[in-house]
Amino acid sequence: MQMITTIMKKHTFIAITLFASLSGCGLTDVVNPNVTDEVYLSTPQSGKSWLNGMRRQLAMTYNEVVVSTELVSDNYFNNRTLSSKVFDIPQIDYTDLDVTNLQKEIHRLRQMADFGLTRVLPADPTLSASEKAEMQFLAGVASLLSGELFVALPATAQGAALKPVEHFNQAVSWFEQAVATTQDAAEKQAYQLLLARTYYQLGNRAKVVELTTPLLTNRTLLRPVRYDGVNGVANSIQFYVYSSTNNEFAPLPRLDFLDPKYYHIGSATTDQRTVVLTKAEEAYLMLAEAQLGNNQPEATRQTLLTLLIDVIANRPRVLIDDKRETRNGGNRADYPTTAVQVRFSPGSIAHEGLVLDRSKQNVSVYAVSGTSVTPEQVRGAATADDLLYLIALIRQEVFFAEGRRMTDLGIKFPVAQNEHLNNSAISTTDLKAQFPAFIPTNRTLDDFTFDRATGIVTIKVDMNQVLVRNKTAPEIFPLINP
Amino acid sequence: MNILKRWLALLLMVMLWLPVTSVAQRKISGTIQDKRTQEPLPGAVIALQGSTIGSIAGADGTFTISLLDTNIDPVFRVTCVGYRPLLLPLGAAYTLDVLLEQDQTQLDEVVVTGQGLSVSKRRLSTNVVSIGEKDIENQPSTRLDQLLQTQLPNAQIRLTGGQSGATSIIRSRGVNSAFLSSTPIIYVDGVRLDNLNTSTNLSLNLSGSRSQGTATSAIADIPVENIEKIEFINGGAATTLYGSDAANGVIQIITKKGGSEKTDVTFETRLGAQTPTNDFLYFKRTPELLLQNGFFQQYNLAINGGQGPFGYSFSGNYLNSQGTLIFNQNQNQRFDFRTGFRAGLGKKVTYESSFSFVRSNFRRVRNGNAGGYTGLWFTESGASLITGPGFNNRLDELNDTDFERIKAYAQRAEELQNNQTTINRFQTSQVFKYLPLSNLTVKGTAGLDYRVQRELGITTNEYLHHIGGNTTGQGSIANYDRKYLGLTLELNGQHEARWNQFSVLTTLGGQLFRNDDHQIEYRGDNIRDGAQTISLAATRSSNEYLAQVVNYGVYVQENIGYQDKLFIDVGLRGDGNSAFGKNIGVQYYPKVGFSYIPSVEKYFQPVQRVVSSAKIRANIGEAGNFPTPFANERTVQLVGFQNDQAAFFGQAGNADLRPEKTRTIEAGVELGFFKNRILLNTGFYHSLTRDALFVVPPAPSTGENNQLRNIGRILNRGFEINTTLIPVQTKELEVRVRFALNTLHNEVLSSGGAAPFNLNGFSARTIQTVVQEGYPIGFLRGNVGVFGPEGTLQSTTVQSYLGTTLPTLFGNLGLNVQYKSWAFFANADYQRGAYANSFDRQFRFNYGVDNEGVPQAEIDKNKRTNWLNFTNIFTEKTDFLKVRVIGVNYKVRPKLRDRRIRTLSVGFTAENPFNFATSSFDPEATISGAAQGQGGATTGGISYATYSVSRQFVGTLRIQF
Repeated sequence: MQMITTIMKKHTFIAITLFASLSGCGLTDVVNPNVTDEVYLSTPQSGKSWLNGMRRQLAMTYNEVVVSTELVSDNYFNNRTLSSKVFDIPQIDYTDLDVTNLQKEIHRLRQMADFGLTRVLPADPTLSASEKAEMQFLAGVASLLSGELFVALPATAQGAALKPVEHFNQAVSWFEQAVATTQDAAEKQAYQLLLARTYYQLGNRAKVVELTTPLLTNRTLLRPVRYDGVNGVANSIQFYVYSSTNNEFAPLPRLDFLDPKYYHIGSATTDQRTVVLTKAEEAYLMLAEAQLGNNQPEATRQTLLTLLIDVIANRPRVLIDDKRETRNGGNRADYPTTAVQVRFSPGSIAHEGLVLDRSKQNVSVYAVSGTSVTPEQVRGAATADDLLYLIALIRQEVFFAEGRRMTDLGIKFPVAQNEHLNNSAISTTDLKAQFPAFIPTNRTLDDFTFDRATGIVTIKVDMNQVLVRNKTAPEIFPLINP
Repeated sequence: MNILKRWLALLLMVMLWLPVTSVAQRKISGTIQDKRTQEPLPGAVIALQGSTIGSIAGADGTFTISLLDTNIDPVFRVTCVGYRPLLLPLGAAYTLDVLLEQDQTQLDEVVVTGQGLSVSKRRLSTNVVSIGEKDIENQPSTRLDQLLQTQLPNAQIRLTGGQSGATSIIRSRGVNSAFLSSTPIIYVDGVRLDNLNTSTNLSLNLSGSRSQGTATSAIADIPVENIEKIEFINGGAATTLYGSDAANGVIQIITKKGGSEKTDVTFETRLGAQTPTNDFLYFKRTPELLLQNGFFQQYNLAINGGQGPFGYSFSGNYLNSQGTLIFNQNQNQRFDFRTGFRAGLGKKVTYESSFSFVRSNFRRVRNGNAGGYTGLWFTESGASLITGPGFNNRLDELNDTDFERIKAYAQRAEELQNNQTTINRFQTSQVFKYLPLSNLTVKGTAGLDYRVQRELGITTNEYLHHIGGNTTGQGSIANYDRKYLGLTLELNGQHEARWNQFSVLTTLGGQLFRNDDHQIEYRGDNIRDGAQTISLAATRSSNEYLAQVVNYGVYVQENIGYQDKLFIDVGLRGDGNSAFGKNIGVQYYPKVGFSYIPSVEKYFQPVQRVVSSAKIRANIGEAGNFPTPFANERTVQLVGFQNDQAAFFGQAGNADLRPEKTRTIEAGVELGFFKNRILLNTGFYHSLTRDALFVVPPAPSTGENNQLRNIGRILNRGFEINTTLIPVQTKELEVRVRFALNTLHNEVLSSGGAAPFNLNGFSARTIQTVVQEGYPIGFLRGNVGVFGPEGTLQSTTVQSYLGTTLPTLFGNLGLNVQYKSWAFFANADYQRGAYANSFDRQFRFNYGVDNEGVPQAEIDKNKRTNWLNFTNIFTEKTDFLKVRVIGVNYKVRPKLRDRRIRTLSVGFTAENPFNFATSSFDPEATISGAAQGQGGATTGGISYATYSVSRQFVGTLRIQF
């Protein structure tokens, strides 16, 4: 027994020594699950994955753009508690996290493009010209959005805050490079249309006419932003207008017939609809506005008629089941989900067919573009202002839920607090949102009344009328008052 | 080669475990009893000085011990937690009846905490709280943090919700970190445990975001059975030797490793009723919709015994707590067992081991910010107005028909939820002690904690249809598996030298620990109702998370004593850690302290009639918190997108990432008055955390993600006062009152220029708990509205300070009365000075349930649209006093000589019987998520769709054979 004890004592020492030696080898190794910059750039074909990452970033950016700006505008009202509760007022504080998020995503798109073109591209010779062009194009999108949505923004990391016009100039340069580089015909047209849009924002009628005219023949042009619900990049606006258990966002009643533009059939995870980055309609709308700016009302009328008859009318429509829509989010007393009439403003005529009856059967929605404007209305427009009103209305309806309306209303975001705290180049004037004087406050943008007796919804303000009345305001109609 | 080494090690372990007996020449037997009450002291230890030979008193206080004939002039040391140790020369006797005297000052209690090996409290310049078996028995709890809630005088422990297994907030000495959880590290028999007290990185989301509701705590499934003793030390010099993750303090659990020569069998059953805590509900009828009375049952069998140098201990436990949510949606079933062994291998080597296994299953319902349908949001927040078909949300005003309608809706929605968490956890500790010399002890510890958690959430299409929404075939099954493996290896030695009037205690050691955390998410979407696995889903997807960290440290400590009354303590630990940035080498943590016992001095004698004992202590020491693994590297992130790889910016990287270091200066006095009938332990601490980790949101224009940086400075300071009064102490009756009071000043001295960020809450425009320079960590930030004289909102200041969520004063109270065989006890804890926001109230206003103090003129003018513009209206003071437990226990000892039952005790406890709070809501039932991710800091502070901890009335029957 004594011997066993002795052996055990020895073993104790061996065991302790062994533990110590084990601790000296395998136990101290850790497996790093990350890919570092160096590893990434030194492995083959990094370019394709970076470009795909940029496409993903475009989707993330558009999520912020569309959701935030649709709420700020008169298009959608947040009827529940998810997402912003102040954009509808409209109130845009530089301290608001949503302002930071929007800014962050745009910068990230720009920085990714920069990293892609300056670091990844030299490291990966397999990238094609078209792929390089797409990177340039996405850099252009970042610049365009910077100018359209913000009063000012840096264009480099912690750089000086550039005014919109400087961003538009950068966007022009990027889009021109992309157009020149790409070998993909369809992409080239899309880039050209975005270039035209940039000139539109710069108020350059001649360039808009020059660039849009050759694009008019492609009446199905559509450049989408793609999502991937399986991999966690779901289309946010689709969630808020359809896929969420409850519909969070409610449209302005006169736009009810356009809702939802995004929907799922089957599983929401796998059925994520695309958001339009640009489409054929935009060429016509910009051209029409340029023509009106050039005092060519008849040309404008013709452009709009072609747009309605040959472009919008041919866009696909889809029947979807929206019977569970309740419009009872609780933030406002809402309009019914049965068909009611709508007045665009107090005293105007009541329109039928704009509020759909969702309770009984599937509804037909517009997957790309829809409008309430008829060719008769275009033909009957007596004055330039009437035509301008129709342009504004078609723009609102065609670009509905695509994140364009806020810019058309002349509203811009301020620079975010986080940028201000970390970037001495930001001045306090950059921290104030831009609201044209004609923008109503206190939730009036989305407001309406409902007369139960007559079954008529009356919208408080017809913002398109307001825009036309204020057409000389510098924040709006870039081609009317360049 | 590595595998071979591991197998060899395993083989050795098995061999060493073989039972061996040694030759006994002289058998000594006797009893160990309380001197005052003559009650036996089960668990008291009798050990031969300078050797590994010893025994433990059984349930009836008896022991036997075998001595070798080589033991000349044996001297025994008899110890028991709460009693003064006794040195007894045996002489020629064969029996030994020992009477131990209660030690109120506990100066000579031997503790292991903070030193690696054992040391008497007298020598320490820091404060150690030890909780013995008796205290644990009297505080019947199913989880460790709940057990400690009223036992740690200087720590605050709050369960953050009533759902079983939910996370808790544990903090002592304030909040050291703005980024990492304040939960102390926990050791069982020298082996580190998983102490994750937040949701995991990949986890079931039943609350909107993972940080906005209840998560499962890894502390909730640590078995609390078969514990001999728990020790707790606050962060500071006391935890310096624990190094890089000990700034929040250390909890040491020491399990039983065996009993007396006889085999003691203890059977315990606890049966009782659970009732929901309705005190804070707005509607009287909410319980009818969501809550029930539950049945609680727990059975425990413990066997302790030993022979000669061997001891064994076994405890098996089954618990079934039905819970107070309808359809048993909060049920907890648990099975666990724990074993402990000790073996003296000759005179100089002892081997101790413990194993535990637990299997626990919790059920869960939607809570917090889940949105859609959430029981409490639906009822208490008034969201029933807009949920499903829409209801009248003033529950108490409903007629019977309408009430039945809403009840049927809510109950079906509750019933259709199917979420659960299952945990299998195995933990072991293997310890060898070697005494080559009578004054030198070498100890090797190795062990592991392996915890596998599976969260399962089945969302049926039927449920989705019931709660409304656009659903077609959208049922889903989500699984989240987390495997945690923690390994601890430690080798240390302690040498005691005496030279004239000096004694020098030298400790030298090294420790390595390694945590592997592997998480996998696998989910199936678009799945038929009835499916239980994702194999039947139309779409399947998965995700993975891996974190590994290794820390290796070496420590040395000198404790120099003069005349057993003056001690100087100096120590240093150096740590390397894989989570440190590449520019960071070894990190050092120094400490120095002293303790002085003036009451043994001659000059003290004149006052000794009043001041019977005194100890003065002071120290300065550092401890750390290591950063998140791999947060130091610059990375490219890759995910799938459109069926291809998508790469984008990952972490910005930080090669200088290092641990946060908290330097604590503390000083204290421990005084005993009137023969220690009044004990006062009072101290002051000042803790400064440098290199505090902040998640720094970069300028958006960089396009970078948030990066962890050591840029902050955080201050915590306060007084810690702990008093015990013993107004009555006779042979039959003892009354003991405990009172602890702590003050806290917490402030972020510097955020290093980083923008404020949130720990908890929702978006910046609603309500958040925020970290910002110049404010306490986790203060409430929201919009402050000012009303004009006519009662309408005049102005709103966004993102304003609404109050701190940290109390400025907290502590606990205890009353113990022992009369003959009766024991009565009551424990409570309290806080003052903290605030919380009731998002439930804010919603009640928004959904028109109640005006909630908002002037009618405002509602007339603006309706309820400004509901987020005066969040200050919904912020309340959360002072509280909560009685956690009241209980009575009666112990019977059958007097028959040949008895089969040694003791029988019957008890009854009421848990959480009384709550007194200044707030209209439960100040503790707050969403406590850590927005900074797994293991992140949180301070609670937002009351929102969270269940209160239920009441429990439990009878206990305990029989010892």
